[in-house]
Amino acid sequence: MKQQPIIHIDNLHKHFGTTAALNGVDMSVYPGEVVVIIGPSGSGKSTLLRCINRLENFEAGSVIVDDIPLTTAENINAIRTEVGMVFQSFNLFPHLTVLENVTVAQKVVRKRSKPEAADIATALLEKVGIPEKANDYPGQLSGGQQQRVAIARALAMNPKIMLFDEPTSALDPEMIQEVLDVMLQLAHEGMTMVVVSHEMGFARAAADRAVLMDEGIIVEEDIPDVLFSHPKKDRTKAFLSKIL
Amino acid sequence: MQAQKELGKKPGQNVSDRRVDGWWWLVVTVIGIVILLAAAHPDPYWRIIRFVSDGVLVTVGVTSTAFILTLIIGLITALGRLSRNKLIRWLTTIYVEVARGIPLLVQLLFWYFAFPSLIQSFGHWLHYEPLERYLANPFAMAIIGLTFCYAAYMSEIYRAGIQSIPKGQNEAARSLGMSHYQAMRYIILPQAIKVILPPVGNEFISLLKDSSLVSVVSVADMTRRGREFMAANFIPVETWMMIALLYLVMTLISARVVAWIERKTQTEER
Repeated sequence: MKQQPIIHIDNLHKHFGTTAALNGVDMSVYPGEVVVIIGPSGSGKSTLLRCINRLENFEAGSVIVDDIPLTTAENINAIRTEVGMVFQSFNLFPHLTVLENVTVAQKVVRKRSKPEAADIATALLEKVGIPEKANDYPGQLSGGQQQRVAIARALAMNPKIMLFDEPTSALDPEMIQEVLDVMLQLAHEGMTMVVVSHEMGFARAAADRAVLMDEGIIVEEDIPDVLFSHPKKDRTKAFLSKIL
Repeated sequence: MQAQKELGKKPGQNVSDRRVDGWWWLVVTVIGIVILLAAAHPDPYWRIIRFVSDGVLVTVGVTSTAFILTLIIGLITALGRLSRNKLIRWLTTIYVEVARGIPLLVQLLFWYFAFPSLIQSFGHWLHYEPLERYLANPFAMAIIGLTFCYAAYMSEIYRAGIQSIPKGQNEAARSLGMSHYQAMRYIILPQAIKVILPPVGNEFISLLKDSSLVSVVSVADMTRRGREFMAANFIPVETWMMIALLYLVMTLISARVVAWIERKTQTEER
C-alpha cells in the first residue's frame, strides 16, 4: 500500500472545556483499508471518528480527507457527501419510511430524480437484506434491521469512506451478527472503513489494522491478530485482559 | 405488513381514532342555548345577534390574518434565535423579550396612536408629503399589534419544538451532506411540527380571545359592536351574556378542532 492516504490526520487536538479528548493524534488510512479502533470509554475514539467528518470541531492539527482539508463550510459539506457515517443509536428519521430514509438525502443533496433514488434505495435495501421493509416506519423495525437501514442510507450517497461509531453497542446480542455480516461484505468489496468497535471477531476477520487509543492518544497499532495476541505495551495488555 | 402496523399501535389508540370526541356535546349545548334564546326572546337576543354579526366577521378576519402572520414570523424568529450568527441571535432575543414584556393592550395603543404620529414627524423632518399626511388604518395596526406580540410567544413554542428533536437527527442529516437549512426543512421541522401542534392550537384560541382588545383602537369587532349596542339600548346583562356566548361558541369549536388535529397526527405513522 504505497498510495496516498485517503484520510490523513496530523497532530489532532480537541478539548471539551478543560478536559482533553484528543491529545495529538496522527493517523493515516489508505484507500480500501479497514481500520478498527478500540479503547476504554472516554479514550477519544468516538471523538476522533467524529472529527473526520467534522461533527466535532478541533482546536489544533489538521484532517485531510480525499485531498480536501477540513476548513471552510463548503469543504465540510463536500467531505460529508464522500464520508458515510453509521451511529451507535442508528438515528434513522422516524417520520419517514425506510425507503424515504434512504432516498431523502439522494434527492436533496445529490439531486437525483425520485425514481432514480428509489431504484438505488431498493437495490441497497436488497443488499442489506431487508427489501420487504421498504414501506415500514423505523419504529416498526428491530434494532438490527434499523442499523442495516442506516448503513443503506449512508451507502446511498456513494461514499468513498464509511465511518462506524460503535454500530453494534446498542443492539441485543442476537442482532449483532446480522449487522456485522453487512459490514464484512462491505469490507470484502473494498470499502475504506474506520470502525470504532470492540467486536474482536469482526476485527480479526475484516480489519487490516487495529488501533488502541487511551487518554486521547494512539497507544499501539498493528495487524489485529498480532495486537490482540501479542500486544507490546502494558496499557494494551491491561485493556485487552478486561474485554477478552 | 398491515397486521404489523396494527401490532405497532399502542393499546387504546383505536378509541382515539374516532373523529368525534366526548366534548362536542358542550359545543352543541352552547349553540343550543344561543338558538333557544334567540327564538324564545327575539327582542333583545335576535336583535343583538343581528347587530353584532358584522363584528363576528371582523373578529374572525382579524384573528385568522394575525394568526397566519404569527405562524410565519414566529418561525423566522425561532430560526433566528437558534442561528449560529451572534448578531441575529441577539436581535431576535431582544425582540422576543421586549414583545413579551409589554402588555398587549399597551402595544395595540402604541401601534394605533403613537406609531402613526412618529411616521408623521419623520415625514415632516424629511419634508416628504405622503408621510406627513400618513393616517393609520385601524385594521392594519390591529393586525400588526397582535402579530408583533403573538409571534414572540409563537417563536418560543417553535424553539422548544425544534430543541425537543434529538441531536442525533441533525447529526445524521448533516453527515449525509445536508446543509443546515436542508436538515431543518426535511428532517427537523417535520418532526417538530407534531410536537408543537397542541400549543400552537392553544395560541390560536388565546389570540381569538385577545382580539377583543382591538375594540379600543376603533376596529369594529364583536366586542366593540357589543359596546355600541349597549350604549344605544342600556341592557348590559343581555348584551354581554350574548357576546360571551358567541365567543364561547368560537373558542369551544376551535378547541375541539385542535384536539382532533392532535389525535390525528399522533395516530398517524408510529
